[in-house]
Amino acid sequence: MQRRRDFLKVGVISGVGAALAMPAFARRAYAKEPIKIGLPTVLSGGNAQYGIQARRACELYGKEINAKGGVLGRPLEFIYEDTGADPATAVRKAQKLVEKDGVKFLTGTVLSSEALAVSAKCPEWKVILMSTINGAGSLTAKAYNRYFFRINTSGPMGARVVSLYLAEAPLKHFFALGSDYAWGRDGVTTFEKQITAAKKDVVGKDFPPVGTKDFASYISKIKQARAEACYLVMPGQDATIFIKQAAQFGLTRETKLVMEIVELENMKAVGEAMAGTIGSSRYPFTVDTPKNRDFVKRFHAMHGVYPDMFDGETYEGLEWLTQVITKVGTADDVEKVIEAWEDSSYEGLEGPFFMRKCDHQAVQPGFMVEAAKDPNYPHLIPKILATYPGDRVTPKCRTEDFA
Amino acid sequence: MSAALLVEQVLNALALSGLLFLVSIGLTLVFGILRVVNFAHGVFYMIGAYLGFTAVALSGQFWLALVLVPPAVGLVGAALEASSLRFIYRRPPSYQLLLTFGVALILEETLKVLYGPTAKNVEPPALLQGSVEMLGVIYPRYRLFLVVLSFAVGVALWLFLQRTRAGLVVRAVAQNSEMADCLGADVARVRTLVFGAACALAGLGGAAAAPITTAYLGMGIGVIVEAFVVVVIGGLGSVVGSMVGSLIVGSAQTWGSYYVSEAAMVIMYAVMGAILIFRPWGLFGEEE
Amino acid sequence: MRPLARLASLGALVVLAALPWVLARHQLSILTDLLIFGLFALSLDLIVGYTGMVSFGHAAYFGLGAYGSALLLIHWGPPVPVALIAGAVLAGLIAAPVGWFSTRATGIYFAMLTLAFAQLLYTVAYKWRDLTGGSDGIAGVPKTTLFWGGPSLATPTAFYFLVVACVVLSLLACRALVRSPFGRALQAIRENERRFASLGQDPRPFKVVVFVIAAFFAGLAGALFAPFRGFASPEVMFWVLSGQALMMVITGGIGTLVGPVIGAMVFILIQEVLSSYTEHWMIFAGAVFVLMVIFLPGGLVGTARRLIEARG
Repeated sequence: MQRRRDFLKVGVISGVGAALAMPAFARRAYAKEPIKIGLPTVLSGGNAQYGIQARRACELYGKEINAKGGVLGRPLEFIYEDTGADPATAVRKAQKLVEKDGVKFLTGTVLSSEALAVSAKCPEWKVILMSTINGAGSLTAKAYNRYFFRINTSGPMGARVVSLYLAEAPLKHFFALGSDYAWGRDGVTTFEKQITAAKKDVVGKDFPPVGTKDFASYISKIKQARAEACYLVMPGQDATIFIKQAAQFGLTRETKLVMEIVELENMKAVGEAMAGTIGSSRYPFTVDTPKNRDFVKRFHAMHGVYPDMFDGETYEGLEWLTQVITKVGTADDVEKVIEAWEDSSYEGLEGPFFMRKCDHQAVQPGFMVEAAKDPNYPHLIPKILATYPGDRVTPKCRTEDFA
Repeated sequence: MSAALLVEQVLNALALSGLLFLVSIGLTLVFGILRVVNFAHGVFYMIGAYLGFTAVALSGQFWLALVLVPPAVGLVGAALEASSLRFIYRRPPSYQLLLTFGVALILEETLKVLYGPTAKNVEPPALLQGSVEMLGVIYPRYRLFLVVLSFAVGVALWLFLQRTRAGLVVRAVAQNSEMADCLGADVARVRTLVFGAACALAGLGGAAAAPITTAYLGMGIGVIVEAFVVVVIGGLGSVVGSMVGSLIVGSAQTWGSYYVSEAAMVIMYAVMGAILIFRPWGLFGEEE
Repeated sequence: MRPLARLASLGALVVLAALPWVLARHQLSILTDLLIFGLFALSLDLIVGYTGMVSFGHAAYFGLGAYGSALLLIHWGPPVPVALIAGAVLAGLIAAPVGWFSTRATGIYFAMLTLAFAQLLYTVAYKWRDLTGGSDGIAGVPKTTLFWGGPSLATPTAFYFLVVACVVLSLLACRALVRSPFGRALQAIRENERRFASLGQDPRPFKVVVFVIAAFFAGLAGALFAPFRGFASPEVMFWVLSGQALMMVITGGIGTLVGPVIGAMVFILIQEVLSSYTEHWMIFAGAVFVLMVIFLPGGLVGTARRLIEARG
């Protein structure tokens, strides 16, 4: 009895080993070894819209670059993993991408908390994590390490853009609502600092848990505080639900909604109730440069929709990364890529980018937009209200503070 | 706090309680009558929301959705019960957990395949759109509707169980299924119907919630724990308990979010813990 | 133990010891992960399989172990075994009052009380940002050394052996426990609690003690998890993990101790393997679990045992 049970144990362990090895045999053989980019991203649940955007950008860029012969003659290959917006799972999937698939470049992390967790492991794995979505200021400040690169406008930069714009607006009293995790907390803190420096005040703040579905009490609080405007730092799904409910309670009639990120996906989900909302946009597809107009056309041709913020940011990240790789001449020496990327410039869809050596934050222009109706489009679009040059909106090195 | 705000918060608590009631009533029935742990209950709530979206998208009629969706979800639930759950009634609850978890995985992924991973917007019917000015407060009509709907469902259910013959049979099966069987009740059919009804109620909850929360993947997980808390506070198998439990949890959450928003989540569990310490079988439950 | 049984156990140990040189790096990572969760499932079997108490909140103790070891390693960097003990003890300490309160009820109410307390702890972990990092968790938990001045555990192989040692020792300890008079009392309680009470013994102290012991081993698993993954977050205390732990136990076989270890491995592997083949792996995983419940009532080990018995 005992012996049979133990034989069983041995048998299962061997079987386990075999099962683990199996998928490796299912891989296709490439003529030339592809350059692999791993995306531990969110493809399901409330934040799936971000993973989808990352994937859309990869699909478009991959198709285009591979048609031209790839990078250094090697095709670009993308491997997607679903993390379910959970940092522990993100680390696990990233580890699998690094150890099993041998990727040296990770991107597509959605929640800042996931990015923080994965970034902390990058020095051990010696791989680059390129953020095109993550906003938390700490990623290039307190939690900085040289294997992390941030392409996108960060949360503090978004707050800065909003504050610069609002400094000239008549609104004086703000309520700040941030989701209870790294990005939401950092965002509200930075906004508070910036807006009080502009001689305005924050009459109240609150942090609903990520995934809150009923904001009724928060809406009551905002009304009670007699805020003229409400500054929102919430990810996709949460923001959509909040705006819808705020409209239902008539809050949007009395209080102006200001968002750290004004997303196309929110506009589509909420609809007209969101018209008039202002805020910062990481990448508004309405930027009027020839390069961007062409990108939007190609994107729309492939995917049938207009690019949202992270479609654009991810595309830019991929283009820049491959430019750096091409300049270095190899995709296998991560240290060389890091060195080449630092202090390099890139002409993006939105304007000029510069990768700071001190904290690996890409300095780029900031945009203030308004969700507006436009007869040429079937939904609201981000209308650009103001553009700010990169050096005005990027914080001091390794901090979340501004000059 | 101003009077207007007080009114608003009370209404908020009632609306939230109403929603919780719709979700938890099915759970308590299944627990109490069938003694089954239905891990997939939240998924039926989600199915109701998505089907509601489809019904509104196809017909443009929200009322139609409210009428058609619950039976549809109920059918899915009844099919599940008849095909697999009924074989494991005598097993410990852990088995039911694994089975219903497996079912939940299948159903949720199927919804993702059918509808895609992004949330679906559902518009309330024209009659219920907009707000109403009452007692000095501007309040969304739809939330008032939720309060009314959940109350009506609760009363109807209570009447059914306490005052009708069929309800008597259901209660008999709950108390002693072997005896009920001897006395001529078709126990297997009652079980299937009760499970189906519970799923239908969850589906109704989802369809009713969708205009407020949108239909999205993972909405089952968010709501199921609160439903469990309501059921435990109220007592397994008790409709009245479910109502009272929903009010307690809804109020705790609403007022908690307002006053101590940092600790709001804790308050609900603290309340549940406190009640269970003094009455481990819930307020209206029966001691085992 | 009979000589053949001893030989087979030794064989299993030899295979485990040899695997790091056979498996690829990521496969070793997965195996380490499986073993950690195997220990977690094993700890749950003590309460579910041997005492008949279904707990829906076991993940809380896994989480407490993880946070305890994570905080210790990040702030003071002691050798890993110190952090392991700290995590396990923390879990056990918190489990004591929880167990005491929860055992006031039985059956499904007991289960719900354990869930309530687990969610309470989850909420505390989520909200107490200054200590736990809130929903972002604690990142950068280091793997330190085996003992002061000793070898580093930073390599996958070294850490793997630490995990194997912990799992094997725990398995032996739990096996000794269930074979002791205390263990037999637990099983008596599982069979018929009222009869146990009518014999003059109060079942409650037994239940509380086994609850704490189970929490200790769950905490140990969690304490291994934190440095292994380099990360601790409230999600590891979430009720979904508690539910999955129960499923691992059932998959392997309730009340067999080694069954849950295998059950955990199979449960996680099914999802891992399937997800590398298809995006919609959840449908197949769900179907497998449903079929397993219906057709394999004793779990994998239980059913295998039954088959072997029937033939032999």
